[in-house]
Amino acid sequence: MNNHPARPLSQRLSRPVGFIFTAFALLFLSHTPLHAQDWFKTETSSGVSNIRIAVADFKPTTADAGTLKQTFDTTLYSDLSNAGIFDIVSKSLLPQSTPGAPGEITLAQWGNAPTSAAMVAFGAFGTSGGRITVNGFLFDAKNTQFPQVLSKQYSEQANEDMARQIAHRFADEIIFRLGGGVPGIAETKIIYVKFGGGNKEIWAMDYDGANQHAITHLGTVSISPRISPDNNRIAFSSLGRDGFQIRMYSLLLNRMVNFPSAGGTNLSPAWSPNGHDVAFSSSRSGDPEIFIADSNGGGSRRITSFRGPDVSPVFNPKTGSQIAWISGRTGLPQLYVMDIDGSAVTRMTDGGYATSPSWSPNGQFVAFAWDRKYGPGAPGGQDIYVMEVATKRWIQLTHDIGRCDFPSWSPDGRHIVFANSPDGHAASTRIVSMLADGTGRRNLTGAGADMPNWSWK
Amino acid sequence: MADLSWNPDEQLAGENLRGNFFGSLVLHAVVAATIAGLAYFQHRGQSWGENISTAGAIQATAVASIPLPPKQRELDTGVLTSEAPSPAPVTTKQQTIEAPKPDEIPIPEKKVKPVKQAPEPMPAPPKHPQPAPPQPTKATTGETAGIRIPQSSLQLKNGTASAMVQDRTFGSRFAYYVNIVNRTVAQNWYTQEADPRASLGKSAVVIFDIDRSGAPSNPRIATSSGSPSLDQSALRAVQRVEGFGPLPAGDHITVEYTFHYTQP
Repeated sequence: MNNHPARPLSQRLSRPVGFIFTAFALLFLSHTPLHAQDWFKTETSSGVSNIRIAVADFKPTTADAGTLKQTFDTTLYSDLSNAGIFDIVSKSLLPQSTPGAPGEITLAQWGNAPTSAAMVAFGAFGTSGGRITVNGFLFDAKNTQFPQVLSKQYSEQANEDMARQIAHRFADEIIFRLGGGVPGIAETKIIYVKFGGGNKEIWAMDYDGANQHAITHLGTVSISPRISPDNNRIAFSSLGRDGFQIRMYSLLLNRMVNFPSAGGTNLSPAWSPNGHDVAFSSSRSGDPEIFIADSNGGGSRRITSFRGPDVSPVFNPKTGSQIAWISGRTGLPQLYVMDIDGSAVTRMTDGGYATSPSWSPNGQFVAFAWDRKYGPGAPGGQDIYVMEVATKRWIQLTHDIGRCDFPSWSPDGRHIVFANSPDGHAASTRIVSMLADGTGRRNLTGAGADMPNWSWK
Repeated sequence: MADLSWNPDEQLAGENLRGNFFGSLVLHAVVAATIAGLAYFQHRGQSWGENISTAGAIQATAVASIPLPPKQRELDTGVLTSEAPSPAPVTTKQQTIEAPKPDEIPIPEKKVKPVKQAPEPMPAPPKHPQPAPPQPTKATTGETAGIRIPQSSLQLKNGTASAMVQDRTFGSRFAYYVNIVNRTVAQNWYTQEADPRASLGKSAVVIFDIDRSGAPSNPRIATSSGSPSLDQSALRAVQRVEGFGPLPAGDHITVEYTFHYTQP
């Protein structure tokens, strides 16, 4: 008896439901710089050290610069040390002087031991008439003849947010010049799911965890937010009258915009790199399958047709012509790659329980959460892995820090943000960021935050 | 439809049942006897707790090794825990000590310090003309003098990498950019790709262009090292780089990059 299309929802969901709820959050990648430098190296044969940079405290030009200048100095220092491409001189090794202008700096002081810096960032910070004025300089400490690499001037309203913003901009300029032309990420945002009071809402914060604020106030369960490549819209999946449906929030209008509902459970939207298409998983035809629709929900077409659930699609952000997703056709969920017309299906993982892929901005790697020995009593746990798509070689990035899920690449391809639960409970999940080689781990939020997604720029 | 008809074969099977039953009994008895006999012969003369090294005794562990806090001793002499009233303290009569007589304690004599004599000042030795210290024959290195030539050199674990920009003005004006080029290519040079025996002590020179956006193009071998694997690893190092960052000035530069392979 063939009652396949008419099966009740509960039956349709009974097998894949546990899988979906852990797997839908597919992490969407960040943008595609043309000259993305791959800093992800496992070989260390060269023995080349990073550029050693000294970050001087800026010189206060007015007496009331106090706390704002402190915010600025701290933010600039942490931005440059978070960049992952510098060797930062410790504050205790810096000379006592605080030069504010090119004429006031003695390069020998900074270039010689114990500072031994190759580059010096310094400048002047002042507030007057409700505005901040910052002059920032980057000098090559070894080049006495032509030391200046960069000089910037900023003038903004005097408040904590703008002081931090100016520091982010100046840090991004330095990272752009010295980091191989890859734009820095200090001005990027991370959107995530914040849970409290039985609801899950979409929140946003700066890349370093500052300025956390709510985006949606829907009073329901909203999950797997994905920001569009132009940073104007957020697509997410929200529980409503018709079950889980794809919803769309406009950051320009600051309100929900229409996205048509369909039958079944619709989860894990993902933007194509040109921002025209949205891929998502939908169970409108029975099994959860991958669909692609326009960014306003029209012309949706089915890409996969296999028995077993297909969830968590993510576009290759470099080419836009491939999709990585999670399929349960062989039992446990595994990572697969295909072209966007549904051809050339390739299985990437050889076993275990793989969820939530995120494609690196240069298209070379896929990060995903993987429990390689899945089952009762099996050793290990769910950790973040990175796989090179061409060779299927992988490395493990997190070890022994509890359950890790939902990795998301930064636009420069040097960082990965993910959700981590130290004790395995969902309530203690927090958002953690690290360099793409697994070092430099930092907690961005406290408990109660999940499913981070790094903006494209 | 189930077949309910009488089957004559069942009669034959029932007649044979008695023989099978006794056969089974005998077989089980034989198996049980074998197990008991083997166990007897195997373990004859041994018993648990025997005083040999392979005896079956188990190690007894003292209870004191349990990592728990030690138990509090019950104190029946305490005032609060004891039923019996504590005895009153015995008070002894205080004795007065008599003051010593004035001549009983001897007074120590004061010691006299010897007077110190200052040494007489000696006349300073006459000054001789000293020979001049030998001047270093080496030129001062980049540690102190800063980068004057448009060349940057890096010491690696497995060799030396040096970049030279053919445009001398660019190289001295933007020395930091030459440094970045040198560093980035060196980071992408995988010295394992070169055959260590064939390329030891040899140098390959690669020339490539950097366009305005910072992307390297057209890498070619200018001077072959004589070791094909070293030449190939040098070319691949340049090809792996996607960009050095936009040029600070001009629309292209040409870089001459030397890969020198040594033993680590």
